[in-house]
Amino acid sequence: MSLLSRVANAFRSGRMDRELDEELRFHMESRMAELMRQGMSAEEAGRTVRRRMGNSLATRERSRDIRLMPWIESLWRDARFGVRVLVKDRVVTAAAVASLALAIGTCTAAFALIDAMILRPLPVYQPDRLFFLTSGPEGENAGSGFSYPALQRLRAASGDQAELFAASPVFPNPAILVGGQEEKLRNQAVSGNFFSALGIRPALGRLLSPDDETGVNQHPFAVLSYSYWMRRFGGDRNVIGRRFLFGPVQYQIIGVAQKGFTGVEAGTLTDAWMPLSMGAADSLTKWFWEWLHIMGRLKPGVTPPQARQVLQAAFTNAHRDWAADLYRNNEPPQRIQSFLAESLHLTPDAGGPSDLRERFARPMWILAVVAGLVLLIACSNLANLFLARAAAREREMALRISIGAGRAKLIQQVIVEGALVAAAACALGLAFGAAAAPAIVGMLGPWNLPVYLDVHLGWRMVSFAAAASLAATLLFALAPALRASGVTPQEALKAGGAKFSGRRAILRPMLAVQIALSFAVLFVGGMFVLSFVKLAGVDLGFSRDGVALLTIARQAPEKNSQLHTTELLERVRGVPGVRAAGISMWSLFSGDVWTDSIRIPGRAPDPASATILPVSPGFFETMGIRLLAGRDLTARDLAANSSAVIVNQAFAHHYFPGEEALGKQFALPGDSNKDHTGQIVGIVGDVHYLSVREPAPPTLYLPLDRLQGTLAVRTAGDPRAIAPRVRDAVQSFGHSLKVREIVLQSTLVDDALIRERLLALLSGFFAIVAAVLAAVGLYGVLSYSLVRRRREIGIRVALGARRSSVVRLVISDIAVVTALGLAAGICGGNLLARAVTKLLYEVQPTDMASIALPLGCLLAAAALAGARPAIRAARVDPALALREE
Amino acid sequence: MRKQDALQGSLPLLVLKILARRGPLHGYGMTAHIERMSDEVLRVEEGSLYPALHRMEEDGWIRAKWVTTENRRRARMYEVTAAGRKQLEAEEGRWRAVTAAVDQVLGQA
Repeated sequence: MSLLSRVANAFRSGRMDRELDEELRFHMESRMAELMRQGMSAEEAGRTVRRRMGNSLATRERSRDIRLMPWIESLWRDARFGVRVLVKDRVVTAAAVASLALAIGTCTAAFALIDAMILRPLPVYQPDRLFFLTSGPEGENAGSGFSYPALQRLRAASGDQAELFAASPVFPNPAILVGGQEEKLRNQAVSGNFFSALGIRPALGRLLSPDDETGVNQHPFAVLSYSYWMRRFGGDRNVIGRRFLFGPVQYQIIGVAQKGFTGVEAGTLTDAWMPLSMGAADSLTKWFWEWLHIMGRLKPGVTPPQARQVLQAAFTNAHRDWAADLYRNNEPPQRIQSFLAESLHLTPDAGGPSDLRERFARPMWILAVVAGLVLLIACSNLANLFLARAAAREREMALRISIGAGRAKLIQQVIVEGALVAAAACALGLAFGAAAAPAIVGMLGPWNLPVYLDVHLGWRMVSFAAAASLAATLLFALAPALRASGVTPQEALKAGGAKFSGRRAILRPMLAVQIALSFAVLFVGGMFVLSFVKLAGVDLGFSRDGVALLTIARQAPEKNSQLHTTELLERVRGVPGVRAAGISMWSLFSGDVWTDSIRIPGRAPDPASATILPVSPGFFETMGIRLLAGRDLTARDLAANSSAVIVNQAFAHHYFPGEEALGKQFALPGDSNKDHTGQIVGIVGDVHYLSVREPAPPTLYLPLDRLQGTLAVRTAGDPRAIAPRVRDAVQSFGHSLKVREIVLQSTLVDDALIRERLLALLSGFFAIVAAVLAAVGLYGVLSYSLVRRRREIGIRVALGARRSSVVRLVISDIAVVTALGLAAGICGGNLLARAVTKLLYEVQPTDMASIALPLGCLLAAAALAGARPAIRAARVDPALALREE
Repeated sequence: MRKQDALQGSLPLLVLKILARRGPLHGYGMTAHIERMSDEVLRVEEGSLYPALHRMEEDGWIRAKWVTTENRRRARMYEVTAAGRKQLEAEEGRWRAVTAAVDQVLGQA
């Protein structure tokens, strides 16, 4: 009977019972008929038969057992025996379960993150028919921003191929929902067909429709996300029709989107959707306002290349039309050429472009691979353990085989034992993974926009952990199981298990593999840690600590407001604890940037652009930026007719190479048409503006032309304690000034290194785990081989071997294996390193330090692991060792 | 106390032999046959016969199917499989070897 039908028997035992009954009844009746033919009365015959057959129920039970139970019972027996064996070796078992749980847990957490970020499809209609567009010059990184005119041109062309829709990135913006209290609303501006194209239905009220896209500022409507409706309004059905203030406009809530739909961008939770027609008129008419992501749904039967071809043609036509503006602006010819040559890419993906995915997909896959390696290391550790245990039980196995146990039964026994360990590790690992995944998600986002990923413990995560555990069980238990069942009874029983050479032969490659894997993990982890240490130590050109940043905004516009700047700064500098204060349009590392091309009189247009930042007097002092030549801006420079500007060293070198830049004049860029000439009055040191990795861009500092931006204060004590006092000073200053946000400059810099910190932290953690596992593995194998060779060592010592040569005997074996493993690890590590070099900063896989660090760690681990067994080997008492046998 | 089963471990051997020689039979047919052939010396306990049959079925030596007898009763008929024939050969050989050995010991003691 096949396994399948046996299992089937377990589920249809009712039918089996009936069949058995019927068989037995037939038997009784046949015998009664026979007896009656011999002349017995029916009554007498019945009595005889019953007496003879005994309790027919008992017979049935026994028969039934045979068909159903043996397999399940033997499994149960193996499990009970396994638990007994495992509990006897409590410490070893706990270590085994813990190491495997850690490995499975990290793999599960990595899976949960990758699943939520990349794999799991959006909860929308036919997500596999969706795509998003990117564009860019051939061979360059494609950008995902498009203008509204571009959307219109592409839409007009794509009628038969696809339905295009658009959405802005999600940003938290201040809104006043109830009372006068300002709160953050993560909103997204979307095209009118956004919901219908995605196939989202309303949970309440109505959703946006193509009508809401017409006109400018004609449709102040908002659709809430289900989760925001629940969170903010407790699911109140009366929200429909409610009005709220968002920016300067009153919006009306018209509906709630379908449950479970949190937006299209992975990692971002959307609170409300509004029509994209509700913005500045320029955002709808200017082709260079590239603020929308364009997504689309393919029409039935259309393939992505077909759609791309049609869209590309329309895109190129549009660019040809718009290039006229570029010619008029005297843009450099290279720039116009590349503008005309921009190509359109169509990426099949339900999620739409995701900044989070762009930045973290690769690191996540790398971490997943590293976690997988850690799992393999843990498995090889367990395999070692099980092999050692199988060797110790060689006699038991031999005995069982010789009294008739099938080899399959022995394999089953060892695998059941392995499965017990794996099951415990799976449960613990799931708990660990379910706790770790949200913690990691919490680390992904910057301070003001937490990342949202759904990583709750669900069936996908559970199935993954179960599959990983099953694979791990097969990996670590199958070899020992086959090994154990391959015992030849004669040999094993004859000589007290002296046949250990073969056993060592299998432990050796296992150990070498383990060391190779550990090296690879340590290598990659080490490079990320070194890389992060270097990044954290980069001189940014300003001092990031002790500076609080207060975003100030005005409630009402006011002419020549910059003239109050000096007054405000004086007031702020008077706040106790404030050592310096200055204002810039945006703070360094805020992510906001204004770049423009600079034209120097008498030179060809320069295709590179400079970074531009309007600042107030005192900004450089506050940020700790060095003044290298000339002077800082003064209160007088804030006046509208001032021409004073300050540039950084990179600017001076780029635009005035080999010349004295101080005093040079050039036309200032700006949105106004007035021809404004600037004169360089000061040169300051270079500062990293947006990124720690990128060197400082050529930067031009203009005088701040209006009273708004970010107020930076350098404080004597903890900036967090002093910032509220500064806020009060600003808000009591008048001129409708309000402080919107307070953040530390150091937080912004830290946020710029989130990815690097995460990689360093997690891969460093993995590296430590790998080193510990390697040390434990080495220690276990050494101790085991010592136990096996005790007698041999005893004889050697008795025959006059020196202690040192005994130690050498024990160590040399392992040293060769370690060296082989390390060599393999260096090769494998270098392969792996190719995938990570892009994420490294001033660290190369071929650097001395990159190799020395993991090498040193592993050698130290090996030395630590080898010390005790070596000492024990040296102390073997020949008399004792020989008497044992 | 239960009466000792005279057949001890040889029941499967007998079942295989009878099925191999006689073709498909139901359980009752087997008991009747064994008893008749052994002149009522060997008595088959139903309590050991059916578990033994099911165990042999489990091991693939015999297979069973339901048939309808001439008086329209359903009976479970067993027949020997190829594996069963091989097993029969081995067991029969072993049995003969053992009984021969026992005879020899009895004769020479």
